Amino acid sequence: MWARLKHYGSVYSSFVSTSFSEAMSFRTHFLLLMFMDIVFYTSHLWSVDIVYDNVELIGPWRREQLLFFASVMLAINQLTMSLVSENYWRFPLAIRTGEFDFTLVKPINSVFLTFFRVVRPGSIANLIYTGPAVVYFGLQVGLEPLDWALLPPLIFAGFLLQNSIEMMISCGMFWMIDGSGVNFIRIELQQLARWPDFVYPRYLRGLLMWVLPILLTGSAPVRFIFDRADRTPLIVMLFAIPLFWALTAYFWQRGLKAYESASS
Amino acid sequence: MRVSWSNLLVYRVNFILQGIAPLFVFLVVKLSLWYKIFESSPQAQVGGYHFEEMAAYHLWILIASLLIFNGNSQRISEDIRLGRITSYLIYPFQLWEFHAASFLARSWFQLFIALGTLFGAWALLGGRLALPSPAALLAGLGLALLGGLFWFWVNFMVGLVGFWLEETWTLMVMLQIVTYFLSGAIIPLELYPDWMQTLLSFTPFPYIAYWPARLFMGHLDQVGWVFGALAFWVVVMALAAWWTWRAGMRLYTAAGM
Repeated sequence: MWARLKHYGSVYSSFVSTSFSEAMSFRTHFLLLMFMDIVFYTSHLWSVDIVYDNVELIGPWRREQLLFFASVMLAINQLTMSLVSENYWRFPLAIRTGEFDFTLVKPINSVFLTFFRVVRPGSIANLIYTGPAVVYFGLQVGLEPLDWALLPPLIFAGFLLQNSIEMMISCGMFWMIDGSGVNFIRIELQQLARWPDFVYPRYLRGLLMWVLPILLTGSAPVRFIFDRADRTPLIVMLFAIPLFWALTAYFWQRGLKAYESASS
Repeated sequence: MRVSWSNLLVYRVNFILQGIAPLFVFLVVKLSLWYKIFESSPQAQVGGYHFEEMAAYHLWILIASLLIFNGNSQRISEDIRLGRITSYLIYPFQLWEFHAASFLARSWFQLFIALGTLFGAWALLGGRLALPSPAALLAGLGLALLGGLFWFWVNFMVGLVGFWLEETWTLMVMLQIVTYFLSGAIIPLELYPDWMQTLLSFTPFPYIAYWPARLFMGHLDQVGWVFGALAFWVVVMALAAWWTWRAGMRLYTAAGM
């Protein structure tokens, strides 16, 4: 087991190193990617701020609370953008052109190779934006030492849940000629999750909390940090992570059987 | 236009997921948010809007967005990078004419979807959605289509930046985020700080989302000024695109020839 982990670790470090080399070959694009993320983060936080200039509360939350939630969601999104996002876009192209054949013949897990092959260094660099934003708004809501200690693992759990759901959805690309449109479903789910669960009407909230629990990615951790008694969403989230990874594995196997290998 | 129609219809699911669905999800998020804000005091006003007016504003933003945001600059930069625009230099029509035809085809398509959405919303909401007067409908549609023309030139120009950059999609996404934020597509501009409203009035942004929605809602008092201002920005953007094309052609190496 340890040897296997070590092997995957060394392969992943090669992935990271080649991604950095590639990014450094196109420096302007690298800078634009960084700037694009910053523009997005700023516009989202600013939008929340402008709404609160005109209202006292949104649901039960005041300005600092919602801005803290927004910064946590941006941190989760940033992890996704840095570590996985690019691979979702390359996957449908690999299926359409038959390039996916090369993934299948390599002596490594095909899910790992498909979704973790490329990292986006430009997005990693934006930790200098999202990190301080979480800390700043965390201070505004008065987080205590235990909250600060819980925050990183909870953000990581949100990242795991978000990507287990998105990878499961991406398996649908196996059955499509051009599956790039599936990526827009992922983006829309992210957009929905960027606001706290209580914003949505009852039935939509139920659907997005219990069936396709994308709203849990940010709402469960933040609600738990604000109120330790509010732990049901977090418990559901911790069960949902392995469940959706298992579903991804299941649909992946089904997808491989449906894959027609365009180049062969 | 026939080529573009075929392209749209070949990958129908992608077109719906990429071009239409995001706007509807955006509407769901915004309506849910504002419903929550007004829930505790339904009679309150925020930025001069009651809940019904806020909901109508966002519905009209959706209709306007369907007509405005339908460009495809990525294709242009890809054509430049791969040297494919060489063909357009010997065709009996120019590159911008080809893309303008493609834009017109998409606009027709989006116009039908916009009218279908409007009819659906009216059927669903019944009396709660005040239908605009014919004059307001015409003015709103006209301004949204003019906004679409503005966005076409913006797209075309960003695509032409492909003469200098390997990838231009980051520029386009950035511009889209900024435009959504500053045009009133996310929040009505009355809610922005005064200094920002003043600043924005000197830019094209308010005319491509906020003003079409306002015209649809029957605020026709400044209609002439609004059309004139947007027409001015369309001309400015078309000239900027023309200049970018000329400058880019001096650098073009026809890669792959």
